[in-house]
Formats: sequence, C-alpha cells, structure tokens
Amino acid sequence: MSLVAIAGKDFQDAVRSRGMIALVALFSLLVAVFAFVIRPTGQGEQFATELLLRFFVRPFLVTTLVPLVGVVIGYNAVSGERESGSLKLLLSLPHSRADVVFGKVVGRGAALSVAVFAGFLLPAAVLAALAQTGGIAAFNAGSFFGFTVFAAVLGIVFVAIAVGCSAAASTQRRALIGGVSIYVLFVLLWGAVTGQFLGAAGGIVDPLPVSTEQVRTFLRVSNPTTGVEILSNAFLAERLFAGESVNRQISAASMLVFWTVAPPLVGLWKFDTDDL
Amino acid sequence: MTAIELRGVRKEFGDVTAVRDLDLTVQEGEVYGFLGPNGAGKSTTIDMLLDLVRPTAGTVRVLGRDATGDGVAIRRRTGVLPDGFSVYNRLSGRKHVEFAIKSKEADDDPDALLERVGLLDDADRKAGGYSKGMRQRLALAMALAGTPDLLVLDEPSSGLDPAGAKEMREIVRSEADRGATVFFSSHILEQVDAVCDRVGILRGGELVAEDSVEGLREAVGGEETLEIAVGGPSGSDAANGADGATGTDGASDAAVEAVRAVDGVSRVDRDGDALVVSCADGAKTRVIAALEDAGVGVDDFHTREASLEDLFLAYTEGDAPESKKTVPGTADDDEEVDR
Repeated sequence: MSLVAIAGKDFQDAVRSRGMIALVALFSLLVAVFAFVIRPTGQGEQFATELLLRFFVRPFLVTTLVPLVGVVIGYNAVSGERESGSLKLLLSLPHSRADVVFGKVVGRGAALSVAVFAGFLLPAAVLAALAQTGGIAAFNAGSFFGFTVFAAVLGIVFVAIAVGCSAAASTQRRALIGGVSIYVLFVLLWGAVTGQFLGAAGGIVDPLPVSTEQVRTFLRVSNPTTGVEILSNAFLAERLFAGESVNRQISAASMLVFWTVAPPLVGLWKFDTDDL
Repeated sequence: MTAIELRGVRKEFGDVTAVRDLDLTVQEGEVYGFLGPNGAGKSTTIDMLLDLVRPTAGTVRVLGRDATGDGVAIRRRTGVLPDGFSVYNRLSGRKHVEFAIKSKEADDDPDALLERVGLLDDADRKAGGYSKGMRQRLALAMALAGTPDLLVLDEPSSGLDPAGAKEMREIVRSEADRGATVFFSSHILEQVDAVCDRVGILRGGELVAEDSVEGLREAVGGEETLEIAVGGPSGSDAANGADGATGTDGASDAAVEAVRAVDGVSRVDRDGDALVVSCADGAKTRVIAALEDAGVGVDDFHTREASLEDLFLAYTEGDAPESKKTVPGTADDDEEVDR
C-alpha cells in the first residue's frame, strides 16, 4: 500500500517532467526515420517489420538508448531526494525505506515504460494505418508491439540497477558516477571486461566441472542487453521459449529478473543503515 | 502514558557528539517546547524520534514503540513538519496533501486541510513555485493529515511572517486542545512561551533545563534589569584617573564598581554610555543613590522585566563561556551537528 502510494507519486512526478515529452518525441522520431530508411521501394514489396526491428530499432535504439534513459531516470531517484531534502518529507510519512526504494523502481519503471510505449507505438500506429489503407503491404503490428514490450523490460531493468545504485550513494555525485559506470560496463565494455575476466580466471575455471565456453555463455547472457537481444530475436523468429536455444533464453530471462531485484536490495541494505 | 521517552540517548557523528546522555519524557497531551541555539542537537534528537538517524546508545520510544524498530507504525500516528525539507517541485500543493492522506491511509478532505493552513487558493499551483512560508504551510497540512496523536514540528515558524507564526501557534493550540501531544523545537523562546506547557533547553547536546516558562523565569531569579544612562562623554581613557570624583566620565570603572558594591546587585554590564544592571526588586533606589554618591550623573533610567531572551541566553550561554570550547555543537561546528 505504502509502496503503491510512493510509486504513484513518483510516476506522477516523472511524467510531468519536460524530459518525458522530449523522450517520447525522440523515440518516435528515430522509429519513424528507421521506418523511412527501410521503406519498400518496389511495388508489391513487403514492409519488413522484422528487418526494421532487428537491424535498426534494436541495436540503435533499444540496446543503446533505452539503457541510457533507464540510468538517467533512475540514478537520482533516492540520492536526489536525499540531497534536496524532499526525502525528509517522504520519510516523515509512514513509509519504510524499503517502500521508498522499491516504490521508486516501480514508479520510474512505469514512467519509462510509458515513454517507450508512446514513443514506439505512435509511429507504429501510422505504419499500421498505412498498411490498412494499402499504402504499404503487411505491417506486422503483433511483432512490433511484442518487441516494444522487450524494450520496456530492458528499460525497467536499467531503472532498477540505477535506483539500487542511487539508494546506496550518499551524494548525487556518487550516484551519477555509479550510473555512468553501469552504462559503460553493460553497454560498451561488457565483452572486453568479461574477456579479461575469463583470461585472468582461466586457472580457476579449469578444475570446475564446466567448460570455459559455458562460462563465456553465462557471462554473455548475464548482460541484460544481451538477454533482451536473445529473447527479442527468439520472439521475432517465433521461437520464444522454444527451439534449440530454449535453455539460453531461460537463463537470459532469469538474469533479467535477477538484475531487477538484486541491485535495489543491495542499495536498500546500505540505505537502511544510513543516517539521513 | 508517555508520548516520547528518551533514555540515556547518545548520538555521535564521526568524532562529533551531537547528543549526549539525553533523558527526556513528554507526557501524552502535553505541549513541549524544545529549545536551544543552532547546533545544540535539536534536529538530531528529532531525527532520532523519526528514525531518520539511529542513536549510538540509549533507547528512543515514541507512542510506546521503539523508534528504530517500529518507525512506520509510529509515523502512521504522527504528523511531522521536518526542518530543511524540500517539496516536489512538479506536483501541486493538493497532490502533496493527497499523497500524505493516502500514505497515512486516512480519509481527510484535502481541501479542508489546505484551507486550515491558508493555502487553498494556491492548492493547484505547482509547489516548486511556492515561497518558503507557503512550503512550511504545505508541510503543516501534510502533518495534520490523519488527525495524528503526536505532532513533531521542527522549527515550525521558520520562513513564516509574524501573522503566519501566529496562525501556526493557533493551530498548535487547537491540536493540543483536541488532545494531541505536540513536540516542537525552536531557537526563539518567544514563540514557545505562549503555547508550551513545558520547555526543555538543550545546549551542547545536553538538556540543561526543563520546566514551565514561569518556572524557568523563577529559577533564573525574579530580577529586574535596570538601564541607566549616565552623564558625560564615553571613552575608557576617562576611566583611568577617575576615582569617581568627576561627574563627566560616563560609565567609568568606578561607576561600575560603585554599583557592583550595592547589596542586591547581581550583575553590571557597560553598554556605551549606559549601565545595564541586574538587581533584586528593592535595590533600584540604592543603585541610583550609589551612583550619585560616586559623583556619576544619572541622565535617565528605566527598568524592564527579565526578558525571555535574557532567560534563554542565561541557559544557553551560561556563566561558563570556556565550556564552549569543550562542548561540540555550540561553536564553530554548527553545520555539522545540526542535521
């Protein structure tokens, strides 16, 4: 109840920000530009929804921009209120610190989902209308909508990681450094960092009853952006939780759940013992 | 039953002790004024009541519950006006109050609460555009939501104009009449005089006095303060060769000595051409006579009752100024301690 009240307030606060409108506009614009780029040129050519999503929207928008937006929305969730003093107002009311942290994850996750859905679905509605009127042939609205869900999921995961970091940080500056580090690690450097790790840990992995290849795969799916990539590609191929990669998909999905829950818990553990 | 009970409470921030061995009891239904200069540990104490800060040692019980373990249950029955808070800039005043009502699972009418604090006309404006006083009123409306058993108000009058401060006092009084316990802090004694059943004075993290305002006044002594304008030019050089023989050397050392020797005088201070004398009721005429005997001309004099400010200063500054150096929180480290 308390968590819901905080989530509701935070959501209302977030959707009233100017950044929100800018975000929806940016998403819409990018999706529209990509759709224009791959528009069918010849008569009778199909509109390639999967091509649009898999090779344009996902790499350029979902796995690079959405995590960044998630980090930006989440990093000041707790530390910002702590620094400004509104946290005093919040904790004067009957809320526990756990309510605050998880209420923030829910409220800001919901706000980001709204931005993603609005931004992705506005151009999709145009494409669907064009398909209806015969302007383009066969726009796959189902694929597009499903894909948008994965985009929102990835955003929520990054909001959760950033909120956890924000709860653990005693100042805004530290929260910002943490947020930037999260983005750099998961989006830009994951391959390099895990490669280094595997190189260094070779001696430790060898005696274990797992192959280096298995560890490598595990580390790959541990990255939430890769996890969403695996799941969304399977979805577009209509093999979600089916086919030969089902184990990998289940690992990826579990890791997404892990990243949504664990960072806020760790952040709370620190936040709960702090003097405010 | 006791509303607030602190036993042997101590709070250290690093190597600074903000509150030391504090014992404090506030009965249910009481209006308790918590006084002290900036940095005395008032806000730290209040933060411990609300579980924003955890005590290093001792126990804090509020409304019969342990503050550290049962904070949510306590705050469900407590209205809080925090110090140094900020509002949610993008949300309207009404949204803030609605949020407080929802958080306390109460069924108040937001408009009635806003009306009560005089904010109804601005209820739909974004709180980011509110003045300091309006924010203070808004937080009070949020505190009043859910008809709390206990009100904890940290420096409630800060940012309010005199009319606003008066309205604040009236609300405190009506809440007390309803049966609520009110615990509020201030560094201005005048604000608590009118409404408090009891006041506690905190200094350097320790409770140095606790009584009704009347009781404190008596404890300091039913003295009068006499302000005497003495004739002649000012300047300490005149005091050198004086011996009290001339009538033109102002508030000279000799004049001070002469007054100090009078029976019933407890304190003499020099204030330019004037002497400020604290003395027992009947000593007035003897003071004037002594001055005239010493050859010091009296141009004018008037008396005043020991003001609340004098009273406050007597407790918070005390007679031992050297203690400032050893007691953290009274001197330079205000900012660190008053959190």
